[in-house]
Amino acid sequence: MKRFKIAIAAVASAALLLAGCGGEPAGPSSDFDPNAPVTLDLAFWGNDTRAGFYKNAIAKFNEKYPKITVNSTFLPFPEFWEKRQIEAAGRDLPDVMQFDYAYLRQYSQNKLLLDLKPYLGKYIKTDGFTESTLGIGVVNGVTTALPIGTNAWAMFTNTALLTKSGAGAYTGATSWDEYATWMGSVSKAGGGSVWGGTDPTGRIQNFEISLRANGKNLFDDAGAAQFTKAELAEFWGKGAQVRGTGATIPTKRLLEVAPKSGFGAGLTTSELTWDNFGAGYAGDLGADASGLALSAPPVTKAGAKDLYLKPSMLHAIAANSEHPEASALLVDFLLNSQEAGAVFGTNRGLPASSTHLAGVKLDPLSQKILDYETSIKDRLGAAPPVPVVGYGSIEEKFRQLGEELGLGTVTVEQAVDQFFSEMDTILKK
Amino acid sequence: MTTVEHVQPGHGTAEITARDAPPARRRGRRRGLATTIVWYLMLLVLAAIVLYPLVWLFFATLKPSSEFGRNSGLLPWEPTLDNYARVWDGIAGIPLWRYGLNSLIVASLAVVGTLASSALAGYAFARVSFKGSGILFAAMIGTLLLPFHVIIIPQYIIFNQLDLLDTYVPLLIGKFLGTEAFFVFLMVQFIRNIPRELDEAARIDGAGHPRIFWSIVVPLLRPALVTGGIFSFIWTWNDFLGPLIYLTSPENYTLPIALRLYNDTTSTSDYGATVAASLLSLIPVLLFFLIFQRMLIRGVATQGLKG
Repeated sequence: MKRFKIAIAAVASAALLLAGCGGEPAGPSSDFDPNAPVTLDLAFWGNDTRAGFYKNAIAKFNEKYPKITVNSTFLPFPEFWEKRQIEAAGRDLPDVMQFDYAYLRQYSQNKLLLDLKPYLGKYIKTDGFTESTLGIGVVNGVTTALPIGTNAWAMFTNTALLTKSGAGAYTGATSWDEYATWMGSVSKAGGGSVWGGTDPTGRIQNFEISLRANGKNLFDDAGAAQFTKAELAEFWGKGAQVRGTGATIPTKRLLEVAPKSGFGAGLTTSELTWDNFGAGYAGDLGADASGLALSAPPVTKAGAKDLYLKPSMLHAIAANSEHPEASALLVDFLLNSQEAGAVFGTNRGLPASSTHLAGVKLDPLSQKILDYETSIKDRLGAAPPVPVVGYGSIEEKFRQLGEELGLGTVTVEQAVDQFFSEMDTILKK
Repeated sequence: MTTVEHVQPGHGTAEITARDAPPARRRGRRRGLATTIVWYLMLLVLAAIVLYPLVWLFFATLKPSSEFGRNSGLLPWEPTLDNYARVWDGIAGIPLWRYGLNSLIVASLAVVGTLASSALAGYAFARVSFKGSGILFAAMIGTLLLPFHVIIIPQYIIFNQLDLLDTYVPLLIGKFLGTEAFFVFLMVQFIRNIPRELDEAARIDGAGHPRIFWSIVVPLLRPALVTGGIFSFIWTWNDFLGPLIYLTSPENYTLPIALRLYNDTTSTSDYGATVAASLLSLIPVLLFFLIFQRMLIRGVATQGLKG
């Protein structure tokens, strides 16, 4: 099945290149009439709950524009992108799409997405956005997407589980060594059934923030890696040390509970991840979110701006859309309106548009996220360039190698070599 | 040994046989029984090993979602029927039976289309000699070697141009047009094993190709049709990629896609509902198999027979 998927991806991406040779779309037409009947296709990924939210939001949208019919379709994330890849090859993408940062560069470079610039202000209001959030979806100088919500890298701790095991809470923003020591103390108190956390060196984002602390990113604007083999080896070497002390949950145990994470399965008391994962954790744990706390990730270098706001998801319009103006109106409604805000809450991340946020009734967990993103203001730096094409595969390779390091099936040197050769292959495509 | 009763007394040897034989027989039966018990025990153990995943799946449907990943054992800690209730409610306002019905429609039509077209094509290749039949047969076998991925995108573009997306036509039309080379090949091989004398006899009585096909070949083809039907049903029922590519509206989705909708790793995954829905989606295939399995075995067995 996996080989099959890769094959599809390969064929689809080849066809994507071919499909890229389309004509330049014109700007909005001056004689657009919002009361003329049109039908739009809207595609998003998500679960049952989100599908219900979109349905309600579209109903609200139709109160304003009764003649614009919206047909929505949804799939889980991986299938969503498989289908989009094939549609892209046939230049038949849905008019309005919920979009992911990792695919933005690929689709933008292949000219599959509409240049939103001519629609900004007139059809899509921009007062709710800040300069930096408006700039998130700009690829090679062209605005091809706008962020729905933002998220930041964060540390989740399970306070309920910590209290039960009798270990102290994590204060947040300590040094990495102090974090490791704290994890060790929890694991000791947990006595082999609860651990302090998961080895942080298995996630590329932790490597990224340690690079950013030194003023670098994973990749520069041109898409070249900004780190050396030695830096990666040092990073993974540290992970081996921490694992050696037994402070983190054994990888074998993690594999047993997959697809849940150690944190979601209630086996670890902390995990570094995106700050909007709380609801998923609460669902996995079968508890309400009151037992979860958010704090800042460990600090690599004091005063460094190592964190950044990433779009949790974006909205984009297909270049092949026959109704770009109506699509822009729909995007505006989904991004900016208080009505949509009231419907979605923080289901799609903490809203990027302040007018959208104004409609959101914050639940306790969302309030925690908002408070967290406010609390790290001083650590927030400029967002890195839009991810390179194939970033998703690079991220996944990093995670797999982290897992293998945890199992002890590769040495750090082998893992570094494998990672670089895989990354070079992906970047050369 | 019932004859022993009728043996006249006085024939000593017979009497001895009659007296001795029953214990010997009983000993034999006891040995047989012991062996049988051992065999059955071994089979039970093997069956338990093979069935364990299915049994686990059944008990997992009774676990609340939060137990997944924490309780990997067989029995749920807090058994609940909630999963079934949620599955029954369906997804995005569409009840699960609707997806099941969609799957059933697609799979049944696929069976009809595949059998009708491949039987006809098989008959043509096996019995009708026409110009280029050799090349066409080779070309058909050649499509078996063609990887599916090569044709996905061209096919998608064609159906898109024909405005047939979000209908079941792209999923079924190929099956009605005999493009399933595997089944055509199955039929050809089977028909080749039917003695030609039967055709010739019918021909002498004045039957043409339609009559020979319908009255001679189809009745004899039954085992192959059943085998083909079962495979076609199970494959279409489980097909994921085709429906994923061609169906857009959630109300048209088939079961395998609906099953994936319970799992969204980017928000909240409902593991309990996933396993419950998986179990329910297994039932039709299981029933289909149980009903037709006798014929399936006969079909496969006849296939291996060389004439």
